[in-house]
Amino acid sequence: MYENLINALPAVLSLGNLLAVVIGVIAGICVGALPGLSATMAISVLIPFTFGMDPLVALGMMAGIYNGAMYGGSIPAVLLRIPGTPAAVATSFDGYPMAQQGRGGYALQVAVVSSSLGGIASALVLMLLAPPLAKVTLLFGPSEIFWVAVFGMSAIVFLLGGDVIKGLISAAFGVFISLIGIDTITGYDRYTFGHLELLDGINIVVLLVGLYALPPAVALLEEVRDLDTANTGRLNTTSIWQAIPGMLKYWKTWIRSSVIGVFVGILPGAGGSMAAFLSYNEARRASKNPQDWGKGEPEGVAASETSNNADTAAALIPALTLGIPGTAVAAVMLGGLLIHGLQPGPMLFRDNPDIVFGFMWQFLFAAILLIALGGALATNSFAQVLRLPRPLLGAIILALIFIGVYSINGRMFDVYLMMGFGLIGYFMDKLKFPLPPVVLGLILGGFAEQNLRLALRIGGGDWSILASSVASKIIIAMILIVVFMPLISRGIRRLKARPDAG
Amino acid sequence: MSFKSIAVSAALIVTCATTGSAMADYPEKKVDMIVGFAAGGGTDVMARTISPYLEKYLGNGTSIVVKNMPGASGQIGVTAVADADPDGYTIGTYNLPGTMARTLDRNADYSTESFTYLANVVNDPNVIVTPKSSDIATMDQLVEAAQDQPGGVTVAMSSLGGDDHFFLQKLSEVTGADYTPVPFSGSAPARSALMGGHVTMGIINVSEVVNFRDELNVLGIASQERSDMADDIPTFKEQGYDLVNGALRGFVAPADLPEDVKSKLLSAFQKTYEDPDFQAAMRKSGNPTELTLGDDFQALNDEQLVLAKKIWETTPWK
Repeated sequence: MYENLINALPAVLSLGNLLAVVIGVIAGICVGALPGLSATMAISVLIPFTFGMDPLVALGMMAGIYNGAMYGGSIPAVLLRIPGTPAAVATSFDGYPMAQQGRGGYALQVAVVSSSLGGIASALVLMLLAPPLAKVTLLFGPSEIFWVAVFGMSAIVFLLGGDVIKGLISAAFGVFISLIGIDTITGYDRYTFGHLELLDGINIVVLLVGLYALPPAVALLEEVRDLDTANTGRLNTTSIWQAIPGMLKYWKTWIRSSVIGVFVGILPGAGGSMAAFLSYNEARRASKNPQDWGKGEPEGVAASETSNNADTAAALIPALTLGIPGTAVAAVMLGGLLIHGLQPGPMLFRDNPDIVFGFMWQFLFAAILLIALGGALATNSFAQVLRLPRPLLGAIILALIFIGVYSINGRMFDVYLMMGFGLIGYFMDKLKFPLPPVVLGLILGGFAEQNLRLALRIGGGDWSILASSVASKIIIAMILIVVFMPLISRGIRRLKARPDAG
Repeated sequence: MSFKSIAVSAALIVTCATTGSAMADYPEKKVDMIVGFAAGGGTDVMARTISPYLEKYLGNGTSIVVKNMPGASGQIGVTAVADADPDGYTIGTYNLPGTMARTLDRNADYSTESFTYLANVVNDPNVIVTPKSSDIATMDQLVEAAQDQPGGVTVAMSSLGGDDHFFLQKLSEVTGADYTPVPFSGSAPARSALMGGHVTMGIINVSEVVNFRDELNVLGIASQERSDMADDIPTFKEQGYDLVNGALRGFVAPADLPEDVKSKLLSAFQKTYEDPDFQAAMRKSGNPTELTLGDDFQALNDEQLVLAKKIWETTPWK
């Protein structure tokens, strides 16, 4: 197997194939950075063109786009608090406060270095451990996946923000959105009001753009005053190579978030946003100064960005070996493979080693290239966007999000839906309802519900099936630890404090 | 009426007349092919694989433009085909039994009358699979297990009201036993749950099992004759169970297509099917081909609807 890896390398290093990765990374960063456009969309658009391409050129571009977009999404998240992709929501928690404090350039540098490291870790795992990890994926049936979703929901505790009641209402709203569409277990439509467009549920991008991007884009239109453009165009950055030594102190977060990202990647159906939320939460829990999180802690940006890139190549493990895509992007990529007659499964590795292992190398190169291309693009080019007059910037973003949302399924229905969510987002913002629980509720609510019901169907309605396997028991134990740890540690602290007081 | 307007109407009439006669030269512009699924899905790959061959055999240097209109498991796309002008410049993909089943379990804006049936190209028979670790490796063992504990056998499948679900109903009837359907979202998750041993058996299609033969027991295939994709899998008929079922994928146009346009399209499909390059391309993308043309396709569609109705009336899936 490792012999195959080496044999695949020369083809990847040919000029055309390498160039494809470079173009892919640049395109990915741009697509990720533009609100409303996502990696899923970019790759779907690319797929029809790949018919006539050499497989490695096509796959190299896809690998580049995927890695680039996962970082690109952090650029508007940091600069404007508009996540460019769903996975960048957690990046905005600390990235945007940093930008407000004039440290936006550093936030982007942390983001690009972390993204790149997460991507490298993920690509290495894909290259070296794909077959054993595919066996781990198989251990996760519906009941185990249900518990993982519950574990993810424990992250809501932090996302609730100051007002717990408002946070819970937001989360419940997200879960409600996840109910819309056809109920896959019984076949009944829920809250579709006869609209075929709602049968498949509401696309996360439609919700995200509506809640997060539309209200601030409109607000930009209102800011007619001239800004001091000479200063805003610079992000107060040093060269990225000088900044890296200062980031080495995040090594623990990088490792932890890579592991979380890879783990979420090999689970079918979870995706980069869940990886980012989970690893942000874990990093905060492990931090010595959790009270500073959400106010501009660079480590928060590192946690979120490492894991949403660590999710990328890992999501291809179940996709290539079992045909189950870990994320929406991996699903589209499977289509790209299918077009070239590459069908997922154990045979794929045997019959087309040059292409499969070449594809893995391309993921690695894309992740490495990210530091050079992302660092240069982010600090030098995208920051210039901030020098644009605000109404012009707002108008450009509005145009982009309309085009992006329309092109998901090629219909106006989604655009109207997005505008409806924009209205909701506006009022939620004014009434101080937190937005992240909505996103998490939509992602995890449906995920938890479907798997719970599949598990109960398999168990014949017997709830004990949920705790029947070893894997389930381990995850349940982890949930209990996470939920009760704060209470226990508070109790211990109180016990310790008592002798001093008394 | 002024002289000018008379001249204009005359000109219009002449133009109409020329377009009318030009019908014989179909196609004289691009042909839209509507795919009811997203780019990169199985149906989309079939559409994109066939397009260059259809272009070649339709002639006149025409081009076929694939348009993805995903949503509602293909219903949005197929409705758009039904509503399009019957001029031969809009055709679309068509999935059975799904498209007909939707006329029963949902409000559909189309019926069997809404289409001109061109060609069914893919026939992907169902197979029954069990995990390698399972002690059920033959049909007789499966039937015994299912009759022993009614509802105790859990069946992974891709969705409700699809070909795999219909096959399960037939199986239930033929074996006189009850099974518990577990609808995953898609065949790949169903297959993985099976490989992990989370369910007793699964119903998928032969194209989805050929790359996983080492990981799964295949109990039989629901076709009349053995499949050339895996000719070691015995048919259910050989084993004494009258079970024939599968997923069908083909192409339709709106109803009332002009006869000359229809015959051009049918002959293009026929020639495409006979092209060895096309067969090789379909094989590479894992599509088992079987051509059913024109009226035969319409008859096949009616047959599928009758079957779906029968199942819907006795054991509705929702």
